[in-house]
This record gives sequence, structure tokens and C-alpha cells, in this order.
Amino acid sequence: MASKRAREQAPRHVNATKQTLPSDIIIKRTKRHLEELEVTAHIHRSNYTEPSITFDDNDEGAISGKNRVRQIVSDKRHLNDPNAKKKKSSMKVRTALLYRKNLATLIEESRIASLPCHVPTYLTAAAPPPQLPPRLLCSVCGYKGTYKCKKCAMPYCDINCQGVHAETRCERRVI
Amino acid sequence: MQPQITVILDNGASSIKAGLARGPEGDDDDQPKGNSRLIPNAIVRSKGDKTTYFGHQLERCRDYSALHYRLPFEKGYLVDWDAQKAVWDGVFSSEVLNVDTAESSLLITEPYFNLPNIQDVYDQFVFEEYEFYSYHRCTPAATIPFGHLFQAGGPSPPECLVVIDSGFSFTHVVPIINNQIQWYAVKRLDVGGKLLTNQLKELVSYRQWNMMDETYIMNHAKETCCYVSTGFFEDLETCRSNPKKNSIVREYVLPNFSINRPGRIRLPNEELSTTDQVLHMENERFTIPELLFRPDDIGLEQSGLAATVAASIALLPHDLRGMFWANIGLIGGSTNFPGFYERLSSELLSLTPVEYELQIYRSEDAITEAYRSAIAFVNDPAFSAHVVTREEYLEVGSNASRRKFSGWQSSSAPGDADISKITQESMIEDRGQPSRKPNRSRMRTTTAPGRRR
Repeated sequence: MASKRAREQAPRHVNATKQTLPSDIIIKRTKRHLEELEVTAHIHRSNYTEPSITFDDNDEGAISGKNRVRQIVSDKRHLNDPNAKKKKSSMKVRTALLYRKNLATLIEESRIASLPCHVPTYLTAAAPPPQLPPRLLCSVCGYKGTYKCKKCAMPYCDINCQGVHAETRCERRVI
Repeated sequence: MQPQITVILDNGASSIKAGLARGPEGDDDDQPKGNSRLIPNAIVRSKGDKTTYFGHQLERCRDYSALHYRLPFEKGYLVDWDAQKAVWDGVFSSEVLNVDTAESSLLITEPYFNLPNIQDVYDQFVFEEYEFYSYHRCTPAATIPFGHLFQAGGPSPPECLVVIDSGFSFTHVVPIINNQIQWYAVKRLDVGGKLLTNQLKELVSYRQWNMMDETYIMNHAKETCCYVSTGFFEDLETCRSNPKKNSIVREYVLPNFSINRPGRIRLPNEELSTTDQVLHMENERFTIPELLFRPDDIGLEQSGLAATVAASIALLPHDLRGMFWANIGLIGGSTNFPGFYERLSSELLSLTPVEYELQIYRSEDAITEAYRSAIAFVNDPAFSAHVVTREEYLEVGSNASRRKFSGWQSSSAPGDADISKITQESMIEDRGQPSRKPNRSRMRTTTAPGRRR
């Protein structure tokens, strides 16, 4: 029988292997989740191209992998307007129509990040961080998530939800 | 040669509110509400119908399942001009407004903190593509002081007010003094209708049916079933106590497009046929809109709407804060949730300093409120000083609009001459006047119990 002192000094077996999931994994996971919530069209990663909107099934316009000719959707519309004048758009307008930039590029190009700090911009206007700690909700059923999964730190509320979580969504990182 | 017609486009990320305002001598008295057309601002491809609908054509769609949306807006800002032009061409055509753009003036709304490079492209499209005679570009909140949102509080709109604009992409808290937006105090919460619908899609897809592609249907389910609860944990307990039959659970019957039946909530004792599919909405009903008040529920590191309002007002001059707390207005589609007003009132009450009154104004139709205020703005005699004409643009380019449209780039810092003038006036006012007390017969809304001074 181990002496009392040895028992006291030996670290508890349960705690020996317990480490919390590194917080940057949690942060990355949350960030990925939030970005997915911003998506408006679920585009499959495999064929991410400009969606070609055609009225019949054959593609008009040459496409060859990445070098596809960009099609201007708005010119293809058939508006039944007899008085419509066919005029050529100006250069700037055509450039804007052809080259679609995403918001991150536009923010960089606008150089608002380099404005002096007393000028309010899109970047400075975000709401302040929360004062209270987050309330954890069960990731399976939505009730109060009092316990956290040992493997992936997602909250759950009771044994049934723990079982469902382990079978379906657990990321199974063994720490 | 002033044009007679002004086109008003409240150009939102989810929908465009479009209409015409005739000149002051025109017959706008018989349209006090302003009949706006609500046009989805998207190019929508329907796999079932095998057609693509541009903007207003979406109402012709028969099969709303698995609709693919292409939105011109990304995270609240206009980035896809090709798609936007396609929608605008339809709006100006004979199918909707039937207007000759070269003979008209335009009022168009832009997002808050719009980027300068995007603003230049607005100018290019308005003048070089559509050749409008003149135009004015502003944010939706800038039109609100001209409208009727604060009508219940007094004959003229207040000098200091806060507009909470909760739309599709985000929610902004916008303080305004004397029709000038105080940009240094504008705060943005990145929760909007889009995030709420996507979160609902995720939850339902995990718990019941896979609805990740069904944006239209889930959006409708969100608008029909969801509400904001005033007691979050009490409602959670109610749902937990009896999962199948409690006062909160509702069943949303999914639409059946082959027989042309839209989605709806199941009425009590309604018989369902075997082919009907049903969504059980229990705690999703209130946990989804809860994200407006607690974004940290899904890990978004921002404080909720009430705390954001308090933080925004705290940045304003000390003596004017009372006027701001007493004049808070709600616009935007995401304020339409049942229970939103009550929840916001109760949260803000606990944050209002003791010496101030709290008063929140809401509109009968939050989605078109900015549009109707814009009509009033256009008919205001001072409007013509704010427009940029095509001639000016062709001479000086986008500098004309940068000068004339007051935006965040030219914003005034706190401690400006205008503001200190109001500060002195308000100090005299506050002494005697009860200001906007809630017990008025003209008050349209029920208010939170008034605070005693």
C-alpha cells in the first residue's frame, strides 16, 4: 500500500492527461462557423467558377478552365422594351461590370485602414466586445449546455445529447 | 429644366424599395404612405422551373425549393455590379417603374461607412450608365428625420435622435444631431437577417431535415415562427419540460410546390396528410432572434444590441444624452420579430441612467420606413441643395459627390460648433420641460413604464 505521502503527492490520474483543447483551435473553429453563416450561396468548392446564367442549357461563351471569358449577365436579359436604346456603356462602367472584386479586396484598396485614428471607418465601427461571459447552449438540442465534450469542447446538456454528439458531430481530437 | 419625377431607390441587400416621387406641385398628397414596390435584390435561379429570375421577376416563380441566389451585396456592401445592373434594368423598365432615367432625378441609399471606391462606382453608374439628371446618395438613417417615425413624440422631429437600423446584413446604431449623422458614435453589430436565416438552416439541418439549400423556405419559416423572448431561460425551461406538447412548440408545414401550397404554421387540430412534412420549431423559435441580443451565443465577440446602443450614446456629448435616450427609432426588416420592441425596451431600461427617460419609437412598417421618409425628404425644399447634377459630375467627376454628400469621410468630431450650440439650448430646455413623456394620447405604441425623475 503506498504511503499516504506518496498518494498525496502523486498527481491525480484523471488530471494527468487532461488538457483543455488549445484555444486557437476553438477560435479557428468559431471563425470558420461564423464565415459560413455569412455565405449567401452555397457554392461547391470543386467547381467554384462564375456562375454561368444561361437561358438554355448550352453554355454560350468559351470556357476553358480558369481562363473563361467573363460573361456579363446584365446584357443577356431580354427586356421587352421596344424603346430600349442600345448604347455602349462607358469604359469605367464596363470595367466595373466585368471585374467583380470581393469585399476584402475593396477594403484594402480603399486604404481606410491607414486613415488617422480619429476618423471613424467601417473597421472602427464594430460593436464593443461583450461584457458578460457567453452562455453555453447544448450543441445538440439547444438547452443549457452545462457540460463540455472531453474531446472537442462543444457543450452538451445531458447524457442523451452527449451520445448524439459523439456519434455525429464530435471532432474527435484526442488531446 | 428640373425633372418632375424623382426615383427613390432604398437599395437594400435583401430587397429594393422602389418608387417615384413627383415634384412638390405633383399629386403626392394622395399617396401619404408612398406605394413602394418591394423588389428582391437578387438574381435567382430556380432548378425546378429551370429559369432565372432577375429581381422583380421572382414573383412569377412557381417552385421555390432549392433556389440559388446571386446577391449583388456582400457583407452589406455592393460588390457585384453586374448583378445589380441586371436588377436595376428591370426596375427602371416598363415592368416596374417605367421611367426614363435621363429625365429623372434619383435618391438612392447606400450602406453605412460605404467605401470610397464603391461610392465612385455608384456615381459612374448613375451618371454614365443611366444618365440621371441629378441624384442624391445617402444612408437610410439620414432620411429618417424627415419622415414620420418620431411623429408620436411631437409635431416636429427631435433634434437629437438615435436610429437602430437592423437589416439583412448587419445592424447599425446611428445617432443623429440636426440631421447630421454623428459618425464617430455609429456602431455596427454584425448580426442581420442573413445570419439568422443561415443559423436557422444549420440548426434545422442538424436536428431534422437537411435545409441547407432552402434559403427561401427557411427565410419564410423564420419570419413566421420566430419571436424574441423576454425571459430566455424561462422559455428554455418550458420547452424542456415537455418537448412534444408545450405552449411554445409550433409545427411549420413545409410547402408543397407541386400542388402550389405555401408553407404555413399548423393550426391546432389541423389534420395533416401523410405526404406533409413538418418542421418542429421549439427552442429555435426564440434562440435564433436571441442572437441580436446575445451574439456570443454562437461565439461572435460583440455585445448585444442594448449594450451597443449604450456604448454608442456614451460616446456622445454628455449634456445631450438625455435627448438621445428619449428618441430611439427602429427601422429595418429584422426589427419585425414579435417581442423585439419589448425585449429591447426591457434591456435598455436597465442601462439607461436614472435621470433620463427611455422612449423607443417604431413604425407600422419597418421595411418601408426609410422609403417613406425619403419621399418626405425629396419633397422638402432644402433637398435641391443636396443633389449633384450630371453636369457637375461631367465637369469634376466624383469630387462633386464627395463634397455634397456628407459622409463619414467629412465627419465632424465631438466638440463641434453645431453641437455646442445645441448643448446650450438643451441645458435651458431640460430645466423646465417634461420633454417626451409617454402618457400622450397621440402615442401609437405602448411604452415601457416611465421612469420617475
